[in-house]
Amino acid sequence: MKELRTRNIKRTEKVKIKVNGHEIVAYRGETVLAALMASGYRKLKKSVVKGDIRGPLCGMGVCYECQVTINGIPNLRSCMIEVEDQMEIQTDE
Amino acid sequence: MNKQRFDVIIVGSGFSGIVAANILADRGLRILLVDENIHIGGQLLRKIPERLGLHSKYNPEPVKKIGFALVENIKNKKVKIMNRARVVGIYPNREVLLEVEETRVMSLEYDVILFSTGARERFLPFKGWTLPGVFSTGMVQVLMKSHGILCDERLLIGGTGLFLLAVAYEFLKNGGQVISICDQSTFFDKAKFLPLVFSQYPKFMEGGKFISRIIFSGVPLKYKTRIVEARGKDSLEAVVVAKVDGDGKIIQGTERIHKTTALAVGYGFVPNVELAQLAGCKLEYSDTKGGWVVEVRNNLETSVENIFAAGEITGIGGAYKSIHEGEMAANSILYRFEKIGENDFNKKQKKMYRKRKQDLKFGALFNLLFKVPVGAILDIPDETIICRCEDVTMAELKKAVAMDFKEPGALKIAVRTGMGNCQGRTCGPLLYDILTALTGQSQTHLGPFSARPPVKPVSIESLINHRTHI
Repeated sequence: MKELRTRNIKRTEKVKIKVNGHEIVAYRGETVLAALMASGYRKLKKSVVKGDIRGPLCGMGVCYECQVTINGIPNLRSCMIEVEDQMEIQTDE
Repeated sequence: MNKQRFDVIIVGSGFSGIVAANILADRGLRILLVDENIHIGGQLLRKIPERLGLHSKYNPEPVKKIGFALVENIKNKKVKIMNRARVVGIYPNREVLLEVEETRVMSLEYDVILFSTGARERFLPFKGWTLPGVFSTGMVQVLMKSHGILCDERLLIGGTGLFLLAVAYEFLKNGGQVISICDQSTFFDKAKFLPLVFSQYPKFMEGGKFISRIIFSGVPLKYKTRIVEARGKDSLEAVVVAKVDGDGKIIQGTERIHKTTALAVGYGFVPNVELAQLAGCKLEYSDTKGGWVVEVRNNLETSVENIFAAGEITGIGGAYKSIHEGEMAANSILYRFEKIGENDFNKKQKKMYRKRKQDLKFGALFNLLFKVPVGAILDIPDETIICRCEDVTMAELKKAVAMDFKEPGALKIAVRTGMGNCQGRTCGPLLYDILTALTGQSQTHLGPFSARPPVKPVSIESLINHRTHI
């Protein structure tokens, strides 16, 4: 996959987070959603009724389609929380 | 129990909220500024990371420069700022329930509330729009501007409005490839803006900048073209687009397939009126204002005494309208607290009233121009999901309407639309349009969803963790 982080931005401190057990790199100040998107994760949750796979839509806290489990707490909107070192994220995929 | 009290609680720190907060903060009032986001500033003034390279100096448009300065200013003033905080309930006796960081709630008292809750994006559903890889234009823009991240290498863009061009511009500038821009409106529609060129000079300079980059990059700009289907197994693989006629109906035989794993869609903006509605403020439906908005008097007070509204929730109109209304609301609130005299109040109010009138006129043109035509709504295929949270399809809606569940409130009971996580924020405005198209009844007659506390989902854990002071 091509690098989706552009080169024209001064990246801050690197942090390590885990997505479904796999380590990925993120930068402090990024939202969990931004870090997920940069590493190619977009299938994030299953719809409540039919169980279809869903991904982020609005990116600003309205639609709840980017919900993931963060450090064991389920149903958190990944677009509204910033990454922290050693964060563990679980998607429904 | 004694609850902490504030003179003014400002809900939402976008342009109007931040302008009002800056004015009020200098007058010795106890102010609480709450915002759901991680940083203050709202959507237009999102935090911008430091740039590198030749074009390192980020040069925002003039209006944003003002905004960014206000965001910095407020941090040094005597204002209590709470981020990741959402008002979820408003009760008699001037009490609000605030949820903070999704971990705790607090009951606080207020004398005056200013709602500056802004707007969200509007969608037009199509078959497959729930597939991962279908993003809102706003999300794609935020990823680029706040994080320097492209949502994908290649992007198809569809919808209505000038925002599509802004997103295309930014995507190209960051080294992405734009497959095509499919705009449901016509090029002729755009020509209607010409008379406004002089009064809105900075906006048009920006528009010109967008268009020239798009044309120079060889990106096809398709007018009267709509996204009709997203295809893929469990993620986006291809998008079908088609030409539409004057009523917004698909012209059979004009379908074209684009292979892409990313699609950005946006159909303009919807005011976030739910909180004001919960507080009992009267709403009005207006196509020229962008849908259901909060009704305000000339001083921007709502139908509920001591509750004011400013910015997009009184009518979609852009940054300048929000700035002017932020000033107006602050002026009215200062007068209410007797911090300024009647003369000063009137003088300022008169000046701002004129500006606001101009802003509303400008907004009206946009809102009418980019309104989704009825034909487009009637074209939505039966299997299309309308309410994403509860997986409700167009067929189920039609069936319920045929059984006489015609108002949004009745539909909620019949098929659960608007009962899920987003509480109807995504499907609500669509549903109103669909109901109007199916029944022929006016939006005013049908009414919006009702709003009840908590207006946003709150965990039981948060509710148990209750406080009365910050």
